[in-house]
Order: sequence, then C-alpha cells, then structure tokens
Amino acid sequence: MPIVEMKKVLLLAHREEQGQILGLLQKLGSVELANVQSSPDWEELKSLMEPDQPTEQVSPLETRLGEVRYCLDFLQRHFPVKKNFVQQFTGSKLSITRQEYINHVGRCQEVADACAACREADERLVQIRNEEVRCTNFIDELHPWSSLDLPLEEIRSTGWTRTMLAVVPAEGLGGLQEALSEKAEDSFFKLVSQNKDQVLFLLIYPREDEPVIEEICQSAAVSEASFPGISGTVGEAIAATRQRLQALQEEKAALKARVEELLVNRRLFMVYYDYLQNELNKREAAENLARTEAAFYLEGWVPAPALADLTATLEEGADTAVLLVQDPGPGEEFPILLQNQGPTDAFEVVTRLYGSPSTRDLDPTPLMAPFFFVSFGICLSDVCYGALLSTMAFLMSRKMKLAGMGRQLVNLLFWGGLSAILFGVLMGGWFGDLIPIGPLWFNPLDDPMRMLIVSFVVGIIQVYFGMGIQAFRNIKAGRPWDAFFDQGGWYLFLTGLILLILPGGGAIGKWAAIAGALVLILTQGRSQENPVRKLLSGILSLYDVTGFLSDVLSYSRLLALCLATGVIASAVNTMGGMLAGSIVGAVLMVILLAGGHIFNLVISTLSSYVHTSRLQYIEFFNKFFEGGGKAFQPFQIKTKFVDVEEKEAC
Amino acid sequence: MTGSVLALLGVALAVVLPGIGSAFGVGLVGQSAAGVVTEDPDKFGQTLLLQALPGTQGIYGLLTGFIIMLQIGVIGGEMVPLTPEQGQAILMAALPIAIVGLLSAIYQGQAAAAGVGLIAKRPEELGKAIIYAVMVETYAVLALLASIMLIFGLQM
Repeated sequence: MPIVEMKKVLLLAHREEQGQILGLLQKLGSVELANVQSSPDWEELKSLMEPDQPTEQVSPLETRLGEVRYCLDFLQRHFPVKKNFVQQFTGSKLSITRQEYINHVGRCQEVADACAACREADERLVQIRNEEVRCTNFIDELHPWSSLDLPLEEIRSTGWTRTMLAVVPAEGLGGLQEALSEKAEDSFFKLVSQNKDQVLFLLIYPREDEPVIEEICQSAAVSEASFPGISGTVGEAIAATRQRLQALQEEKAALKARVEELLVNRRLFMVYYDYLQNELNKREAAENLARTEAAFYLEGWVPAPALADLTATLEEGADTAVLLVQDPGPGEEFPILLQNQGPTDAFEVVTRLYGSPSTRDLDPTPLMAPFFFVSFGICLSDVCYGALLSTMAFLMSRKMKLAGMGRQLVNLLFWGGLSAILFGVLMGGWFGDLIPIGPLWFNPLDDPMRMLIVSFVVGIIQVYFGMGIQAFRNIKAGRPWDAFFDQGGWYLFLTGLILLILPGGGAIGKWAAIAGALVLILTQGRSQENPVRKLLSGILSLYDVTGFLSDVLSYSRLLALCLATGVIASAVNTMGGMLAGSIVGAVLMVILLAGGHIFNLVISTLSSYVHTSRLQYIEFFNKFFEGGGKAFQPFQIKTKFVDVEEKEAC
Repeated sequence: MTGSVLALLGVALAVVLPGIGSAFGVGLVGQSAAGVVTEDPDKFGQTLLLQALPGTQGIYGLLTGFIIMLQIGVIGGEMVPLTPEQGQAILMAALPIAIVGLLSAIYQGQAAAAGVGLIAKRPEELGKAIIYAVMVETYAVLALLASIMLIFGLQM
C-alpha cells in the first residue's frame, strides 16, 4: 500500500514536560499535530481546560527573529549572494554539522552584538545618504552665484541702504531694469549670472526707495534669495561642501568595509534564524494543545512505520508521557503520506503536483508510472537526447543535495531519458537522422499512420486500465454489481465498437456492442425512480462514448510530439549539412548542430513532460481518482538557510 | 510554376502566423513575469518555464513549413514541379497549424500569464499553473497533427 497507514496518537503528560516533549516531537518530525479543538472529544475536554495565553512568549522571539531577518536582508543588500539557475528551482542551503549548529545557537550574545552593529551601520549609511543629498542640493543651489566673489556675510544692509540677492525670470529682466532706471535711479543693479530661465542679480538701493522697489519687484516676480549661516564667498562655501561630500564618501567606504567585516556573521545569522524560527514553531504548536493547570493533552497523526520510534523516544525522553494509539475511525479523514519504493518513487512527484489522494483513494503513482514512462519515451524518442537527459539528471542527483520533490523530479527525468533511449532505438532516432542507424521497429516519419495507431493503442490500454481500477475499487467497497454494470457494460460496448472497425471482427463486435449497449441502457438509470426516466437515463448514458473517444484521440499527441522531436532534429541536421564544405563552414556547422540540438532537447523534454503529465491527469485519473486529500505535514524542524547533518558528531 | 508558388505560400503561412501568435504569447507572459521577478528575483527560473510554453506554436509552424519544404524539394534536392491543384492542396494542408497556432498561442499566453500570478503567491503550485496552460496547447498539437498527416498523405 503506497498510501502509508496512519495511526492516531493521543498523548497526555505533565505541563512541566511540555516544552521538552514538543522539542522531541519536532526533532523526530513524524507527527502531524491535530488541533484539539477539532477533536470529537472537545466538548468534554473544554470543561477541564484552563484558558491560556500561548502568545505571551511569542513576541520576544518574534522580535529577535525580525532583527535577524533584518540583518540578513541588510547583508544581502550590500553583498548579495546570487542563486544560480538550478538553485532557483531546488533552493540552496548551507550544510553544517550538528555540533556546529549547537555551537552557533549558543552564541546568543554574539548575535545580539552583531545585530546591533548591523543596525548601527545601516542607520549611519542612511544618515550619510541623506546628508549627501542635502549637500548635492546645496551645491546645485549655490553654484549659479559662484561668480559673486564677495564674502556672503558682507552682503548686508546698512543704515541708509538695503542690499539684496534675488532671482527674476529671464523674460522679466528687461522690464525690471527699465523700471529700476525709471523709478529708482539711485539703485545699483549687478547681474550675477543668467541662464535661459532665470537671471540672478545683486541689488543695492537707498532705504527711502523701499516701497517703490517692492512694487517693482512684485510686478516683475522677483524672489529674494538668502543664505543664512554661510560665511565666506560662494566659491569657498561650495569648496567646503565638496570637502564634506568627500569626507562622507570616505566614511561610506569605511562603513562598507565595516559591513564586509560583519559579513562573517552571515553564517551565524542564518543558523540563528532557523533556530529561532523553529523555536517559534514550537511555541505555536502549543496552541494545538489542551491544557489544564498540571497536564496537557495533544492529538496527532503518525505514520504506522514511525510509531515504534515515537514510542521509544517518548519512553526515553519523557517520564510522565502517556501515549494512546488508535486506528482512524470509519470515515475519519486522516492526512495522506505517499511512499513509493524503488523506481516508482520518482513518479510520485507527478501525483503530488496534481494533489493528494483522498483517504478512500488508491495511490495512483505505481499504476500511472509505467504509462508515464512509455508516453514520455514515445514523445522524446531519441537515443542521444535520452542519454544526455539521463546523464544530466544522474549528475545532478549526485552533485547536488536535493530533497523532496526536487530530487523526485530529477529522478523522473532520469527515467524519462532511459525511456527515450528505448524508444529511440525502436524508432531510429539518433540526434534525429544525424547518425544513420535504422529503427529496430519502424520510423514514425516513414509511416505516421502506423504511429498514430500505436498512440491510440497506448491510449485504449490506459483508459481500459483506469476503468479496471475503478471496477476493482467498486468490488473492494462491496459493490460488485456496480463494477459489472458500470465498467463491465462499458468494456463490452467499447470493445465491440473497436472490433467493428477492425477487419474480421465485425460479427463478434456487433453483438458485443449490442450486448454492452443493452447492459448500459438497462442499468445506467438505476438511481432514478420513474421507469421511463430509468430508460431515458440509460439511453442518454451511451452519449458518454464521446468522452471515451476524446480521451483516446487525445493520445494522438504522442504521435505529434514524437514527430516534432524527430523533425526539428532533422531540420537542424539539414541546416548544418548546408554549411559543411570548408573549414569555417565545418566550425559553424558544429556550433549550429550543438546549439540546435540542445535547444531541441530542452523544448522537447519540456513538451514531453507537460503533455505526458496531462495525459495522466485528464485522461487517466478521471477514471478512478477522487483526490482532495490533505497531505501529511508533520511537526518538524524546518529550515530556510541551513541543513543540519543528522549524524551526531558529539 | 503556380503550384509551387501556392505551396510556398503555405510554408509562409505556416511559419508566419503561429510565429506571430507565439511572439505575442511569450511577450505577454514575459511582461507578467518581469513584474513578479521585480519582487522576487528567485522566481526567474519558474517564470521562464511558463514563458516557454506559448513558444511551441511557433516551433510547430516552422516544423510544418520544414516538412513542406522537404516534400516539394526546396531543401535537400531539386524542386518538384507542382500542378496548381497540388499547390492548393499543400496550401490547405498548412492552414490548420497556421490558424490554430496563431490563436492558441495568444490564448495560451494569457493562461500562462495568469499562471505567473499564481506562482507569485504560491510557488509550490507551478505544476498546476503549467497544466492550465497546456490544456490550451492541446489544440495546437491536434492542428499540427492534422497538418502533418495531410502533408504526408499528399502524393507529390
């Protein structure tokens, strides 16, 4: 049974041991905690419970976690660690020994210090950036005045005169000068600088002219400029600010170096982040418990094979724990864990991507694996592509630490490659037609009709097999008549129809089809009350033959994809062949062949994978598969950054 | 000579129309993907996989064009003189993948772009996002099949 048998465990222990027991369970990672509130016994338990606040201890942990995450982000921002293309799919984790893990986790103070240092550096960097912006703006503002070689503090009003620095829009300049010379002839106007938008000037006038000047300025839209707190000439002020900028640059470089020093802490942060996250998970797991003043109670699911381990761990590590084990009640939903042995393990990823089976389902993985293998091979059907694919998958599974679905996917590609080699030999695909080795069976390019029939035969076998599984489920569930009426009737009817189109099968086919149709007409309406409706539903059910037809026709994609791989490969070879003849041509030819075949390998593998998956999901699974189960999610140590190697170093 | 010209028109249509569709579809997915990758650069690989899906129609079109070229001897031999009827037949044979390839690539691009949105929130559901897009591609595959069978079925 590839769906692992689940046992329900009920655990009762003293409150004092709660933290320790949760820690043990987390380390063991084989128990899924069920929320006690959804337990059937909740009403009884509720009266015993004392209300508790499991969140009380969460918040300091969360603060520390947030702090560490902030530091990691900060370091990542300044010294990014890039993931390569493969790692984007598989993730990349640091691998450390348990001893190192324990050492790192003990360095609590060091983490706090490093965090403070990071924060300090980050804050200073932000300040520097702000000041830099201020300085740059200041220089931009002052720059047009730089031809004014007077110390700014000397530009001031006296008892008799007033001095102002001001700006006027360029188009207002003529009017302003005219007005000044007409109405305030004692004033002194000096142009400082001018660009196409505005004119900067110095104006000195007697105090008695102030009302006139104000009026003139207002009508010419003059705005006064002032530079409080600046001494020396504009040039000097700019030079000083430049110097300040220089100093800021230097400080920034120094800080950058400081951050680089802090980089040694990245490893520590990563370990500590995972540690804190798991502590937090443990605290949150406590919300699933029922607690009284002195005891706590939890319910969970454990896979039957892991039960012995659980019992042993609890006996050894907890004095007060009492463990009760039950089978799931009839109709009770339990979490689904798939476990397939040997080669079918790789195909589990196909099922998992679709979703978990329900508690009443069979695991479709071993049933679907042979069909997936064959279909994938037919689609790719090239010895050389298959060999390349398998070799790459093999190297990846060896060189990289992969776990879970990533590992299964790589293994799936390995098996797919083997299948492609097999069908490549049968159908004569060696980089398309590059290596002229004849097919062992036949070449689909020469005889596409025959290949189409092969595709349909694969389809009919798989669809029949799917119906067979449903019949098996019906019989196992104690409904043999359902199996006979539903699947039996269809088997008879469809086989009859198929025989009808085959030469020589006409007579048997006719009667088989009629018999099958009769069974279906008479039985398919059996859930209806009214006899007329019974008959009508029965007749209408024959219409489902179109469903069968479209399922089988859908397998024609095997032919299309098989031809696509072969023809694209030949196209690459033909184009390559045109280049041959000279040395340059030969070099270009090799480049074109390599590029073209790699392209075709990638595209054809992708197509083969997705279309083969589709055939399983849509054409095969719908015959017998309910789905909608909940996948087993054990309470376990989850890490984001590090992999702790579980061999005990101490 | 008219026959050959019609056959070449078939090649052109088979290559051009699905090519346009694929370019549109791939571009559409690329736009959504770029948005997601702005937030999370690590999703580049996954989104690239989705972006590749509407690109297959263009390849199917090229494939069909290539087979026609082989059949009428444009490449790998002397060009076979075709009667107008033969040319029309080849043109007709190119139409299924030309038309369905164009439209299905666009619709598949839309489905895949929505899939990019799906994996932005739930990266573990990449498989489902792919399947939604592949449901559309089925019809391009069927059209390709029809075109190929027609071309192989014609006697030159």
